[in-house]
Order: sequence, then C-alpha cells, then structure tokens
Amino acid sequence: MTNKSAMASVGVAVEDKPAAGPTAPPQKTPALSSPSNKIPESMTDNLAEEVIGAITAIEGGPRVLKLYMEMCARCGTCATQCPVYFGSPEKKFNPVLRSDLIRSIYKRHKTTSGKIFGSLVGAKDFRTADLEKWVQDSYSCTGCRRCATFCPFGIDNSVITRKIRGILDKVGLTPETMKRVVKTSLRTRNTDGASPEAFKAAIAFLEEEMVDEHGVDVKIPIDVVGADYFYVPPSGDVLVNPEATMGLAKVFHVLGMSDKWTMSSACFDGANYGLFTGNDADMKADNKPYVEEAKRLRSKVMLMGECGHAYRVMKMMMEPGKWWGDLPFKIINCMQWTAEHIVNERLQFDKSKNPEPVVYHDPCNFGRSCGITEEPRIILQASCADFREMYPNRGENWCCGGGAGLSAMDDILEFRMNVSGKKKLEQIRDTGATYVAAACSNCKRHLGQLMDYHKTNVAVGGVHDMLSRAILL
Amino acid sequence: MNTVKFIVGVILPYVVVPAFVAGMSYRFWTWFKSPQPAKMTLFPAGGSTFREVLAETLLFPSLFRGDRVLWFLAWFFHATLALVFLGHIRVFTGAIDRMLEAAGMSPKGIDLMSSLAGGAAGILLLAIGLLLLLRRIALPRVREITGIPDVLATLLVVVIIVTGDLLRFSAPFDLEQTRVWAASLLSFSPVIPKNEMFLLHLALSQVLILFIPFSKILHFGGIFFTQTLIKRR
Repeated sequence: MTNKSAMASVGVAVEDKPAAGPTAPPQKTPALSSPSNKIPESMTDNLAEEVIGAITAIEGGPRVLKLYMEMCARCGTCATQCPVYFGSPEKKFNPVLRSDLIRSIYKRHKTTSGKIFGSLVGAKDFRTADLEKWVQDSYSCTGCRRCATFCPFGIDNSVITRKIRGILDKVGLTPETMKRVVKTSLRTRNTDGASPEAFKAAIAFLEEEMVDEHGVDVKIPIDVVGADYFYVPPSGDVLVNPEATMGLAKVFHVLGMSDKWTMSSACFDGANYGLFTGNDADMKADNKPYVEEAKRLRSKVMLMGECGHAYRVMKMMMEPGKWWGDLPFKIINCMQWTAEHIVNERLQFDKSKNPEPVVYHDPCNFGRSCGITEEPRIILQASCADFREMYPNRGENWCCGGGAGLSAMDDILEFRMNVSGKKKLEQIRDTGATYVAAACSNCKRHLGQLMDYHKTNVAVGGVHDMLSRAILL
Repeated sequence: MNTVKFIVGVILPYVVVPAFVAGMSYRFWTWFKSPQPAKMTLFPAGGSTFREVLAETLLFPSLFRGDRVLWFLAWFFHATLALVFLGHIRVFTGAIDRMLEAAGMSPKGIDLMSSLAGGAAGILLLAIGLLLLLRRIALPRVREITGIPDVLATLLVVVIIVTGDLLRFSAPFDLEQTRVWAASLLSFSPVIPKNEMFLLHLALSQVLILFIPFSKILHFGGIFFTQTLIKRR
C-alpha cells in the first residue's frame, strides 16, 4: 500500500524512485558512477594538512581505530565475507585495500617501520588527487560489519570506512545526495523534508484507512504529553510505507492502550545520516531533538521503529555514551514490545491473511549491531502461514547491499543492483519466498529496487506490515 | 668471525630481550591509555567477555566460520608453534629434565619423547609455513593485499624453522652446551656458543623477536584488545 496520491494531495513530496525500474541492462563489472566530487582549486592548500592531521590524530585514539591502523595481519578472510567483494572481486573492493587508504598514511607518519622503510612496508604519502578515489571507495562499503564477525582479530572495517567518510565530510567531499539528506534532516528533523501539517494529514489518512479496512476506529495519537510510549518511526514509514505504523497502532488498540502512546508531529523520522557521513557533530545534532522531544512529552519509553541504524544510534551510541546525560526514559524497539505481547498471548492473528511464503532479512544494524534477531521472527511466525529462513542468517546474515546510506544513493544504482546486492538476491531467490520482510527503511528501499531491477515477483516490506494484515482487532 | 659470534651469542641477547619487553609494553601501554570508544558490541555476544576473548585467542572460532582452510593452517601453525616454544625451555635449562626424571622418566625416554614430538612439530611447522606462503601467492584476494613485509615475515619464520630442523635432524645436538651458555648469560659472565648452525638459528630468531613489536606479528598481543572491543557488551 503506497499512498502517493494521498500524500501528493496534502502537499508532501514523496520520494520517487525513478531508477528502481528495469532501466539498464545488467553489466558484468559496473563502474561506480562518479559522485562528481571534483576538488576545488582554492581548497588544495590546506587540504593535505587537514587530511594528514586527521589521520595522524588517530595515534591518540579512539583505541579502536588506533588498533586497526596497527595490527591487520592481511590474511584476506574479510574479502571472502564481504558482500561487495563477493559481488565483484576487484582490488578496489577488497576491504583491506580500502582500509589501507588511510592506514598507509598513518603508517607513513606514525609507525617506526613506515618512517624508515616507506613504501616498502606499505606506507604512503598523501596525495590530494587520491581523494576522488576515497569518495568512490568509502561509498562502496555498506558498513555491514560482516568482516568483523569473521576476522580472527575482530577488525571492523566499517569503523575505518566511517573515518574516511568523516575526513571527506570535513573537507566538503561528501556525495551530494548524502549532504542533501543530512541538511534536510537537520533543518526539518526528518529526511523527507515534510512539515508537521503534512505529517498530521498523513496520520489522519492512515486512521481513515483503518476505519475503511476494519470498521474499527484505531487511534494514532499525536503530540500527547504524558503518554508513556513515544513512538519514533523510521524515515518514510509514515509517508511511503505506512503499513508498519498502522500495525503498531493496532497492537496498542488490541491491548487497550491507545491512550498510552503517542507520535510527535515535530519528530517523526529516526533516521540519522550523520552516522553514514562520519560526522559526529551532525549525528548528535540530528539526535538531540528526539531526546528533547521525549523529555517534553514526559514519556517513560522511547519506542523505536523498524529502522536499524536509528535504533543503533539511540541504543548503542547515544544511551551508553551519555551524549545528553542520564535519560528519564528507557529505549526499546517496537519489535521487542510487540513480540513480548505475542509471547504472553495477548494478541491474536489470522495467518490465512498472509498465505504467501515470507522470509525475514536481518538488517545488519539490528542483527549484528544490536542483537535483535528473535523478536521479528516471533512476530512473523505469529502472523504468516509460511515463514522461511534464508541462510546464513541472524548475526551472520549478508547485507542487503544498501547499508551505510548507500540505499539512498541512486547515482550508484548499477553498483548496488549488480555488485553489493548480488549475494542477497541469490539468498532471497533460494528461499522461494514472495515477500521479504526487512525491519529497516534502508534495506526496504534497496531490496525493493533489487527485486524490481532483477524482475523477480518478490514484494518487500516491513515486519509490522505483515502483523497489520493478520492481527485480529 | 669471532666478532660475529660474539655479537650474536653475547651482545644481541642482552639487547633483544629488553628491547622486546620494552617494545611490547610500550605498544600495550599506548593502546591501553588511548580513550575507550563508544560501545561497539558485535552480536551474537553472550555471557562472559573474558571467556569469549579467551576462546578467540585459543581456538580462532571466528576464523573457523569465516575461512575453514585458513583456520586449519593458522590454528595448527600457532598451536605447534606454542608447543615448540614450550619445548625450547629444555634448550635453556636442565630443570625440566630433572622434573621429568623425578617423575620417573629415564633420560633416554626424555630424549626420545623430545625427538619424536619436537621432530614432528618441526616438520609440521615447516609444511604449514610453506603452505601459508603458497596461499599468499596463489589466492588473488590474498595476493593483492600482500606486501613485502608479509612475505619477509613468513620467509623469516620459515628459515628459522629450517635452521631449527637442521639442528634437530643433522647430528645429535648437545643441549648441555646451550644450557651452559644460557646460565652464563644470566650470571653476566657470558660464554660464546660454538655450534654455527645454532648461532644462525639464534641470530634469525633474535631478528624476529626484535621486530615483533614493530611488525604485524604484533597481533599476538593486539588480539586481546581488538577482540575485547567487539565482545564487550
């Protein structure tokens, strides 16, 4: 169910996916189309100094980067487990060589062997002209952390990728698409640039939909101060893929708790692209309004939606990192909330509403980075007649191919469809499923394009979407 | 020639051992003092961090799941290396022999056990070392990330293994000679070892030990730090 016409009528610019169709024929080794980041002449004077400064500063920490600069044994295990290298085993996609982009410069300036032996030991001088390659290479890593799962030392190349992107961001070389999303999100608190009015209109539309569908008045409360649960959906889950929001509303309705939760017309998109551009200041600035809004609403629980990286930023970074001190609320994910009520038998389903074979795709940020793997399965098994698994799964699942923000970049669509998404396409095809549930807006967008591009008959959606169709009111 | 022997057998040991201890301590210290990053737990992560890091260090389960062939080579290489390392204690002191004799073994029995276990380990190490080198050259994904230091480090280890094997298999080696030498170093009245193959083996080993804190072989200490980062809940 997409409500594009309805959204257009309330003045919401709904993101079109022009490139999602079967546009170009598959290429064997598609080149990354250039994100057109020519380095401005005026910049080159201080630029080298700034880049080298950022890299040599790693010597003082954080510990994780310092270790990764100093102790890769170059065994090549990461390459066998990387979705991008699997898709196309080219040198530029080898995780070790990508990390070497800055490791070689760190070696040159900060290690004894690098200072003495230089290029003989893989140390390199920085050249401004290399930055274009940095952009291409760092934006062809999906940040899925699969390498870290299998590396004998647990080296997480996504941390290095993020560092490279952070340096690029500092000198203004972040790809335009990403820049635009960050800017929009910081200005409007959502990545679509939608206004509170548009949000309210969309919610009213969803409530009408539910009356039409079930003949029952299921509420989606907005801006209720004092509601226990503050629901933060991922980007697009109200405007483009609204079924999950309806599903959660139905859960609250069945539990008789419609007056206990609320959404916010100021903060309705948990996406945080600062995580992807490597800019910590942006990441925190994007995060802060949500924490303040939860305080203003006097919520006891911040209920995060089906968005892997949004939940990760809140739960694994902001909360333990105490960005804003101690919090007066808990942070849980909506799938944990719903699954708990399914386990306690408070919700009932008509599985025949979802007869098709359904497979769950573990988003990297939920599976590997937050350890949420069983809850979505509990929900899908309760609401679908034919639930299937793809292998490997959970912590070892392959990335969809659109992680770390790549999903939003249609200028590298060819790369995403034919290289980074190749393994996932195989995995999904092997299950015979006709619906892929992914608890993540980035995965959903990328997988939707992947399924269309390769002309499969597979639909892509969320977890609460399936619940929404089968739950008994 | 005597000068070279003097440097290898007398000077270098006094340099290498403190340099190694200082180098490793320095590296550990710089890692330890650099600030803790944000939590970066990699799931599934359950139970005790200590136990998981220990398991990774002793059995390489991540590598086992990631690259079975490399696990086989790497685990047996490291496990054999650890055995050989323990076996080398006998080179420097007669204390082990005395303990084993006290436990009822005959000197002949000890020698036999040593030649069998040590001999097998020496051959196994050499075979795996060469296979690792072959892997570096043969597999594109490994070849393209291989630099001169990677090849040199493996070659150095292989040559050390070869000289060690030659010592074991060429002629009966007189352990008394090396024990006297080790004791003389400890009492700061050093004598120069005479066996030239031993001196070569010793020289190369010392080069390796000296380079550990400054090379990728550093991973034998770093693994505790990196694994803790992703296992810590």
